[in-house]
Amino acid sequence: MTTKRKQPEKALQLYRDDKAYMQMLMDGLSLDESEEAEINKGVIKAVLDKYDEVLDCAENDKPFITSWFAYAAEFFTAMGVPWFMFPQTAFLGIEAPHVTDDIDGAERLLGSDFCTVLRLSLYYVEAEMSPTPSACIALLHPCDGTVMIHQAIKLGKWRDVPMFGADPPYWEDERSYEYYARELRRMVDFVTEHTGYTLDIDRLREVCEESNKEYALWQEYNELRRVVPCPHDWTIGPPQCFAMATFYYPGKPGGAEWFKTLIANAEKRVKAGVSGVLGGEKIRMLWFDILPLMWQFDIQPWLEQEWGVSIVMNMFGFTPYEPIDTKNEDTMFRDLSKRSLTEYPMIRQARGVADHFLSDIERIVKDYKIDCVVWPAHMGHKDGSANTGMMREKCRELGVPYLHLGVDIFDKRYTSVDEVKDMFSKFFSSTGLGQK
Amino acid sequence: MTLFDAYIKKLADYQQELRAKGRQVREIYCPTEVSELTEGLPVRVGSQDSGGIILRGDTFLELGNPEAGSCAFLMWTDKPPLIQDGKITLIGPDIPESPGASLPFGQVLMVGGAGLGEGEHALLEGNQFIADQIEGYMIKSVSQLMWSRVSRDAAGKGFNFETLGRALMAIFKSAVPKIEAMEVIFVTSSKEDLQPLENIDEQVREISHNITREIWQAKGYDIECTLSWDCRSCEYKPVCDEIREVVRVRKKKSKKTKTAADS
Repeated sequence: MTTKRKQPEKALQLYRDDKAYMQMLMDGLSLDESEEAEINKGVIKAVLDKYDEVLDCAENDKPFITSWFAYAAEFFTAMGVPWFMFPQTAFLGIEAPHVTDDIDGAERLLGSDFCTVLRLSLYYVEAEMSPTPSACIALLHPCDGTVMIHQAIKLGKWRDVPMFGADPPYWEDERSYEYYARELRRMVDFVTEHTGYTLDIDRLREVCEESNKEYALWQEYNELRRVVPCPHDWTIGPPQCFAMATFYYPGKPGGAEWFKTLIANAEKRVKAGVSGVLGGEKIRMLWFDILPLMWQFDIQPWLEQEWGVSIVMNMFGFTPYEPIDTKNEDTMFRDLSKRSLTEYPMIRQARGVADHFLSDIERIVKDYKIDCVVWPAHMGHKDGSANTGMMREKCRELGVPYLHLGVDIFDKRYTSVDEVKDMFSKFFSSTGLGQK
Repeated sequence: MTLFDAYIKKLADYQQELRAKGRQVREIYCPTEVSELTEGLPVRVGSQDSGGIILRGDTFLELGNPEAGSCAFLMWTDKPPLIQDGKITLIGPDIPESPGASLPFGQVLMVGGAGLGEGEHALLEGNQFIADQIEGYMIKSVSQLMWSRVSRDAAGKGFNFETLGRALMAIFKSAVPKIEAMEVIFVTSSKEDLQPLENIDEQVREISHNITREIWQAKGYDIECTLSWDCRSCEYKPVCDEIREVVRVRKKKSKKTKTAADS
């Protein structure tokens, strides 16, 4: 059953403005005919298509939902239901130029201690700057903050929006996967009830097979990033791969094509021995969290130019994914459940036992020839920061220097850019990494 | 007796079952000293000897692609006689016999040393993923799967499972001098043949997780708790204690039910 909704005009205008900004970036890139630019154009096109899809639904009263990357979007692709990721605007980072003002608005609402990406998402709803979906899939892990924002909007501006949250178990065993698979079945029923879109199992199989191709290609690309020097600079790589596989093209044919283009370019650069970092790669870094989305232009080019740093891998770029077994309905639900609980970044590390913080660091450091590990200690990731002692201990065992920063990934005013640069410089100098 | 000893015996039964099913089983006995293990190998072994990654186009064959099947684990014991030092068992086709193939891959590493204990567990576990230490052999960076590639160059030089097994033995014995004996099993026959191995793997993983938890607990950390501070000063301690008690009772109850059902 579908529900007709009146959309807040501010939200539609914001979406149109954001789309226009993204179009401007696309127009700028169109002057560049390099292969690398083509790769980025593919991502921006995906973002534009998503804006069009959501705007079309909102303006023409078609059903659509909001959800999170951690809910195996293969289901939504198979059902054909349009959706947007709840914290989408915050995740676009620097590509959404109004975000800093919005953070100030969010601060007036919620103070400054709460994870900025969650504050922002709540603020957009309460300030009527988010399109009102037909239904909302709420995320109940990995932190208390996600639960709280959904409770808040359910009591606030979205009190009439039907909401569903799958109950995540703590452990990682067969019983947990089966339990969560049943929760995902309830989610599918919920989406059908509120949008009219249904799940056809044969279609889900096709989508999972396509998704398997994408994830395999993403893993293949990551192998290429193990090469010294890493073939791509900060403008291409893990963030785009994550967005394309989990959000923009999950199980859609365009996704695999994009990954093939990316790999072809990376292979060419590897064979030619081309370094992504101009002037030569000197330090290979694992940035163990989301990349600093709101201060990309301030930090990443500086790290490359000043210190020869290549952020070879980050938490969202790592691929611990196992393919979905498409044998039957049960295997698909079971494997998508496992992926949702234990493979998507941040959920994987922060939801349950702390094993993954340690095992992922060990594996990445060895496989990617990492010289140093940075835990940015995003102010919202208190769960992870509680494990900083263990991560430091693990890095000591591995013999790689570890840096705990203390920043807001989404707001460069929390710890200033100059302070962060100073921390990095002292770190590289004192560990001798800068002398390579 | 270490926690893995029972599973070392189960592995012997597993191999016996595959022999009874008529699988091709080859046993190779290698030298036991590190210097002898690497002597005469067709590829280099040691840190940064892989020469980089292996591109798809340069791949002779893949092992353990998830579609083909993959299962790998390690067990250690403080009773070296349980391990046949230097023995490699290959069940299924060898690398040179399978150009262009994507073979299922089972890899079991068994190490023994009177001095081995929980203190070496993390090092032994981590060593399974050998990164760049074998020329022409690359393990893909996918956690929980042993998915690897052999390069055309290495295959051309004669790289086979004996090479891989000897290289692994050399790497392990160099990294952990307390190892007195090491045995390796490779399975490439079929995905179905990996199934019993996966059942053993599941139990081995649980033991391994428990050992890891205890190691971190000794350092003052609880890896099963994301709060990560000392339990004695944690306000949630009564809640955790109650949950642990419920889990304990539940396990006891389900064990009783199972025993009753079995009898």
